[in-house]
Amino acid sequence: MAHWKKLSILTLILALLAIVPLVMELGSNVMNVMVTLFIYIILAQSWNLIGGYTGQVNLGIVAFFGISAMVTHFLWKAGAPIYLAIPTGSLSSVVLAALIGLPTLRLRGMYFAVGTLALAQAAQTIVANIFTRSVSMPGSFSATYSLMPRYYLGLIMVVIAITVVYVITRTKIGLAMVAIRDDEQAAQVTGVRVFKYKVIAFLISGILAGLAGGLYAYVRLSFWQISIVFSPSWTFDALLAVVIGGAGTLAGPVIGSVFLVVISEIFANTLGQAHLILFGLLFILVVIYFPYGLIGSVDRIHQLITRVRK
Amino acid sequence: MNAVIQTILIGIVIGALYGLVGLGFGLIMGVMKFVNIAHGSFIIIGGYIAYWVFTLWGVDPFLSIPAVMFVMFFMGLILYRLVLSPLLKYPRAEMRIDKSLLVTFGVTWILDNVVTMLWTSDTRSIVTAYTGTTFNVFGARLGLTGLIGLVIAVLVAVALQLLLTRTYFGKHVRAATEDSGAASLSGVNVQRTYLISCGIAAAMAGVAGVVIVSCYSIAPSMGLSWLLTAMVVIVLAGEGNIAYMLPAGLILGLIQAISTLFISCAYQQPISLIIFILVLMFKPNGLFARGR
Repeated sequence: MAHWKKLSILTLILALLAIVPLVMELGSNVMNVMVTLFIYIILAQSWNLIGGYTGQVNLGIVAFFGISAMVTHFLWKAGAPIYLAIPTGSLSSVVLAALIGLPTLRLRGMYFAVGTLALAQAAQTIVANIFTRSVSMPGSFSATYSLMPRYYLGLIMVVIAITVVYVITRTKIGLAMVAIRDDEQAAQVTGVRVFKYKVIAFLISGILAGLAGGLYAYVRLSFWQISIVFSPSWTFDALLAVVIGGAGTLAGPVIGSVFLVVISEIFANTLGQAHLILFGLLFILVVIYFPYGLIGSVDRIHQLITRVRK
Repeated sequence: MNAVIQTILIGIVIGALYGLVGLGFGLIMGVMKFVNIAHGSFIIIGGYIAYWVFTLWGVDPFLSIPAVMFVMFFMGLILYRLVLSPLLKYPRAEMRIDKSLLVTFGVTWILDNVVTMLWTSDTRSIVTAYTGTTFNVFGARLGLTGLIGLVIAVLVAVALQLLLTRTYFGKHVRAATEDSGAASLSGVNVQRTYLISCGIAAAMAGVAGVVIVSCYSIAPSMGLSWLLTAMVVIVLAGEGNIAYMLPAGLILGLIQAISTLFISCAYQQPISLIIFILVLMFKPNGLFARGR
């Protein structure tokens, strides 16, 4: 029964998200926040897959986000339709993920994290060196700019991302991923091909990050400096959303993203840059004291209550 | 020919600095199995302290090194007490590495934003009376500040090596590195050893920051790229090989400097990434590893 309950709640939320913008005018502010939320959710699910389920800390997820955003932007500018540009952008993320993942995923410990962080930094440097001037779409695009198609594309992508993570975690691949996270050595001994599954998880995570990047390029038409799509703050936001919500759960990144977007809407105007520091403190506290995030804490309180009742 | 000698000189000077940057990072990594992503931000903060001491009171940056080390030592203690010691509850080294990566990434985020708020995101460097002074070495020019930086890096590396091999504290550190449980049983105060090692690592980051601000320049966003340099040095030297940090830094510096003869110096960071990946692929235990 619980399964049906969950499914009907999800359908209800989805229906609300799909119908409300059609029947009433939300205003561009709310729509913008919603689209940002969608980008966060996709990026957070991408990190969740590799960091939450497989346990490989990826500190450079922005590299995959950024490369896809750039490829999408330039393809779209060159005249390709957006529904071709975004998949091509994601493809470029996968290629990049393979380049960095194949050498670093073989090694345990910090090398994967360092390799991805270095990749993100190098990508930012290279792009900043190549594109010194601002880039933007031609004026005709901004004349016909509307948030509606972006909203719905984002919504569809969010559904795709969540479905992908859901399906994968219910298959053998997901089982292998969790086994690797919990004890890599034990997994290897019991016959899990650790490297293969790490690479699979990493590549799929790359696709999802690429989707988020493509959506960002679709939403944002002009960049003062295109290297900002490689800014480490994207990595931090994704990490924060996953860790706060609960790593290794399906709903965690979604809840974390909503929390993050709402909080930054509240504080960004009143506190300015100080709200970023607040986020950092929150992040550290959650990692140290609430390793299972909001979801885990709720579950634990629930357990406590049921135990008391019994 | 002159250009080549000049390049090699530049490589040696910056390579020694890379070694210095790698030392502090490698100490925490080797002793506690913690990855301190905030090391780069510590370097930047050390540089800013020297910068302000120089700008406000006119104290020579190289003379302010003891003060910077003192302040940074306490920052290291605070980092350990507030952020790293709670992670000791995880028994497995892999868990510690993962958690410390996350936590110190958060610390970096906080520190970088604090630094940007306090001192804006401008690039700063110290210009003293002798900044432009150069010597003639085989027809090439060697800056005085660079030479001082080189000497300081070598001194710090030697001092750390002596500390680790010739003192009781060093013995404790090495014991805690090998097996913290056994060390604790035989009377080593592991917590205190960790605490002080963390302070020393932060102090060394501070020294590196002073050298950087007086020879080159600093900005709040540069922390991450210095951190990556530290990582590459660690990979070259091999995890936990404190004695080889300086040679590894010199190799990296020379490779980068020589590469500028062929391609634009703007691409130094991608080059270190390539070196990083190549070393990981072919010599995962570092260049100096023997028969492991």
